[in-house]
Amino acid sequence: MASPSRTELLGLYRSLLLTARECCDYNVREYAKRRTSDGFRQNRNLTDPDSIASVYREGKNQLAVAKRQAMVYSLYAPKVKSIMELDAAITTNTTN
Amino acid sequence: MASKLLASTLRQTLTKATAYSVTRQFSTAAAVSVAAAAPAPDSYEDPNGIIMKGVKIAGRPLYLDMQATTPVDPRVLDAMLPFFLSRYGNPHSRTHLFGWESDLAVENARSQISDLIGASPKEIIFTSGATESNNISIKGVMHFYKDKKRHVITTQTEHKCVLDSCRHLQQEGFEITYLPVGSDGIVDLKELRAAIRPDTGLISIMAVNNEIGVIQPMEEIGEICKEFKIPFHTDAAQALGKIPVDVEKWNVSLMSLSGHKIYGPKGVGALYLRRRPRIRVEPLINGGGQERGLRSGTLPTPLIVGFGSACEIAKKEMDYDHKRIMALQDRLLNGIREKIDGVVINGSVERRYAGNLNLSFAYVEGESLLMGLKEVAVSSGSACTSASLEPSYVLRALGVDEDMAHTSIRFGIGRFSTEAEIDRAVELTVKQVVKLREMSPLYEMFFFLLSLLTEKEGVNVWPGFPCLVTPEAYDWENNNFHLFDRVEADAASAFIALWLEKYNLSSQSQYEDVQQLKWNGDKQMVASVRNEVCKRLLIFALSEEAYLFHRRRIAESSHK
Repeated sequence: MASPSRTELLGLYRSLLLTARECCDYNVREYAKRRTSDGFRQNRNLTDPDSIASVYREGKNQLAVAKRQAMVYSLYAPKVKSIMELDAAITTNTTN
Repeated sequence: MASKLLASTLRQTLTKATAYSVTRQFSTAAAVSVAAAAPAPDSYEDPNGIIMKGVKIAGRPLYLDMQATTPVDPRVLDAMLPFFLSRYGNPHSRTHLFGWESDLAVENARSQISDLIGASPKEIIFTSGATESNNISIKGVMHFYKDKKRHVITTQTEHKCVLDSCRHLQQEGFEITYLPVGSDGIVDLKELRAAIRPDTGLISIMAVNNEIGVIQPMEEIGEICKEFKIPFHTDAAQALGKIPVDVEKWNVSLMSLSGHKIYGPKGVGALYLRRRPRIRVEPLINGGGQERGLRSGTLPTPLIVGFGSACEIAKKEMDYDHKRIMALQDRLLNGIREKIDGVVINGSVERRYAGNLNLSFAYVEGESLLMGLKEVAVSSGSACTSASLEPSYVLRALGVDEDMAHTSIRFGIGRFSTEAEIDRAVELTVKQVVKLREMSPLYEMFFFLLSLLTEKEGVNVWPGFPCLVTPEAYDWENNNFHLFDRVEADAASAFIALWLEKYNLSSQSQYEDVQQLKWNGDKQMVASVRNEVCKRLLIFALSEEAYLFHRRRIAESSHK
């Protein structure tokens, strides 16, 4: 399998963050964002094309999982949001 | 094409506010769209907030109770769902694809779990949870070896299911030794050695305590068990996936594992049974002979697949999670300690799992603190015992005072906790503790004493009042005053004698200690005043007198 190009890797990173942002649950959303950036940061010094290809493949799998789960979580989202999200909404309202 | 339509619809619906009656469209391969509403909400939720049990909160609380249970990781849910939807076969059906694929999934999960603990897949049997695994271990092992072995050793801080199983064995005629633990929660190895008898059949010590989070010295205990050739059982429900668990290093023969403590589903657990040397157990649940005859019953394939996948994720993420959780624990502890004093950590500080922080706040009542912390989901005492009004038996075994045990709060930090949540929890806790302390007369008196004496250190603030203590002199950990000079020790002694006479208490023998405060030349109150009543009395007497003195002085100055 050919090693993924820089645009493909960045595309994967962007898709993961976008999918994470769509998630309804506060904790899962924050975790997904954080884990993506930490994961990419951890692997940024890899040079061996095989290992890059394998982490890319893993990332793609995780992206598929994330997309499916974002959908499932949205289907069963509780009516009332978490306190952390409400506060964020209030603070952004007050600063506007 | 269908997926693009679905994705765009979803994007539109997700950006709107999450009102429950939004319809969502599913498209099948034949592009038939069906409108469906989300499941009907429970009656306690409405868009303005939640009202339940007389409490109104604006939104769902932030979750800091990871020792009670953990949220299911989305990756685990993803692995489980196909087994609820299409692959619903019974893993014990041998004749068709449904059975074969379920069986394959179960065996895969078995190997994922055994990888995490360093065992072989043949040594894992699935149960309904750690409670059942503990029951099988304790009752099953002792019933099997009941002719030769009649003694079990365990600790006082074990989980309720272990203690209750031991009590059940006691009623059957076995003998149980409940080892005491030190004030840091760690079991004493010398006492363990001393308790071992020729007819000891099992030693059961949990790896990480669910209430205080201390990690027992597993390797050393394993060595002792190997030396005496006694089976070693451990309840590793809280330890799995959080600290490195290795059955060879620990030399365990039986280990109970739980699914819902490592971001897996509730209702599933496992029991590790060593094969070399083989440990035999008598089954608790009889039936069709599944799980090598040790635990009959249809295996819950989705739950087991979830458990296996949670273990696999835990193996990969253990280091990352551990680093993060340690940083969050420091943030929580420092945040609270910066703003309020009188905070005591229950359990050893060095040998503890970072995600479990059990704090006691002095001069605060526990139930009222919890009632004020409704926006933070924390617990006081373990979930199993929180129904009763007694303080937790674990804290009592540590030797924590009753009042400090009542005010203990357990913060559980996990993989999904964020810094913002920790900061919010710190803010809410500090606010509530300060509010309660302002209302507490005991704290008020004590605070007066300390604050007045800080004006002039070591010098008589008012004539006639013996200057006994400095604020730094109060040692919260050991509940002691450090009397800083010999003169003051004598003054304190005289003071207490007068005070006791005032209330006609000098004849009572329990106050003898206090009346004979001795000076041992070390700028520290002697250990003889260890009697709790005396200590309380001394503190109370000093604070009361200081308070009254102060009030009189105010009254005098206002009359002038």
